[in-house]
Amino acid sequence: MASVRHHTRHAAALCLLLSLSGAAQAAPITFNTALPVAEGEFVWREQLVRRRRSDGGPLDREVSVDALGSVLGYGANSRLAVFAALPYFFDRELRVTTPAGRLQRDTGGIGDLALFARYTLYKRDSKGATFRIAPLLGLEAPTGDDRDRDAVGRLPRPLQAGSGGWDVFGGVVVTWQTLQYQIDSQLLFRENGRHDGFDPGDQWRFDASLQYRAWPRELTGDTPAFLYLVLESNLSHTGRDIDDERGIGLDPNSGGTQWLLAPGLQYVTQRWILEGAVQLPAASNPHGNALEDDYLVRAGFRYNF
Amino acid sequence: MNGLSLPRQLLALLAGLLLSLPLLAESRQYELGVDGLACPFCAYGIEKKLRVIDGVAQVRVDIANSLVRVTMREGATLSEARARRAVEQAGFTLRSFREAGGG
Repeated sequence: MASVRHHTRHAAALCLLLSLSGAAQAAPITFNTALPVAEGEFVWREQLVRRRRSDGGPLDREVSVDALGSVLGYGANSRLAVFAALPYFFDRELRVTTPAGRLQRDTGGIGDLALFARYTLYKRDSKGATFRIAPLLGLEAPTGDDRDRDAVGRLPRPLQAGSGGWDVFGGVVVTWQTLQYQIDSQLLFRENGRHDGFDPGDQWRFDASLQYRAWPRELTGDTPAFLYLVLESNLSHTGRDIDDERGIGLDPNSGGTQWLLAPGLQYVTQRWILEGAVQLPAASNPHGNALEDDYLVRAGFRYNF
Repeated sequence: MNGLSLPRQLLALLAGLLLSLPLLAESRQYELGVDGLACPFCAYGIEKKLRVIDGVAQVRVDIANSLVRVTMREGATLSEARARRAVEQAGFTLRSFREAGGG
């Protein structure tokens, strides 16, 4: 049960992180850090996320998360953009087989608020193309409830909507965009803060996104809407949790390496973007009986104020 | 014009057209070459930054050719420095600036 809780925590952390990534060009669907924003302007993204994880072990653990990720970006100047991201969990559910039978526990509510800033350190614009390198730094505040209870008692910490701890993350985003295609990638490290004797494993991520203009095939004057075919890749490595609260110490059944591939579509106009993608596991190497993703579905919009 | 004869109506119409020509000619147009423009979502930022400049009547973004055409109101002008600032605020680079002629 303890390892189930730990992995549910990872599910929540990853879900939030993914909802964070995205503001400046057409930008990826599965991460928020590349979102473009002009000086003094706002960009707003809403994304519904459905995530399913399981371990296939004797406990037959299943974790499902249905969430809405909200992101607001603001261009402080032409190079510095700041973002706020807040997830709302409609449902966070754990099902696990116990000696007493199948047990189901769930919760919901507002999650932890993430704030980050991105600075465009290097920019090279040419006709119909741009190349940008932008480091970013952020933190996640424990705004979500981490003490929710049900009939059985206090919910496992990983199932809570909030982590209770302060987390920091930082990395770099690289964007190469032409009129025909766009490539975004990010390398990100996340250090999860310790809270009440529980220290979730830290995480490395390498994400990449290719957006290819499928329509219109030919560009003439003016600015038509674009339809992009999207393929994204999400590689992550998460360390083991440390649970001193329950005297477990380093949890052997937590963390691991995972690679997801996500085909998707984006319909891009000047004012708004509709987008959707399905993330499917391509490879994974979990620690012990750690949970693995079965799939994630993302659908949402972006709006230029 | 109901009380006027047909020739006088035509004369009045002609005079009106002649008088309006100089005014139309004062509606200046500029063509901005903008580097870095590569998708519709980014084009909105530059359009918005140019629209707030005093005297700007219309902004059209030709994304295929990386050009932004700005039409001014009668008598208004756009300086290269002001255009450059708007383009940079939107996160792009001004490649060229020229007056494209009156409307």
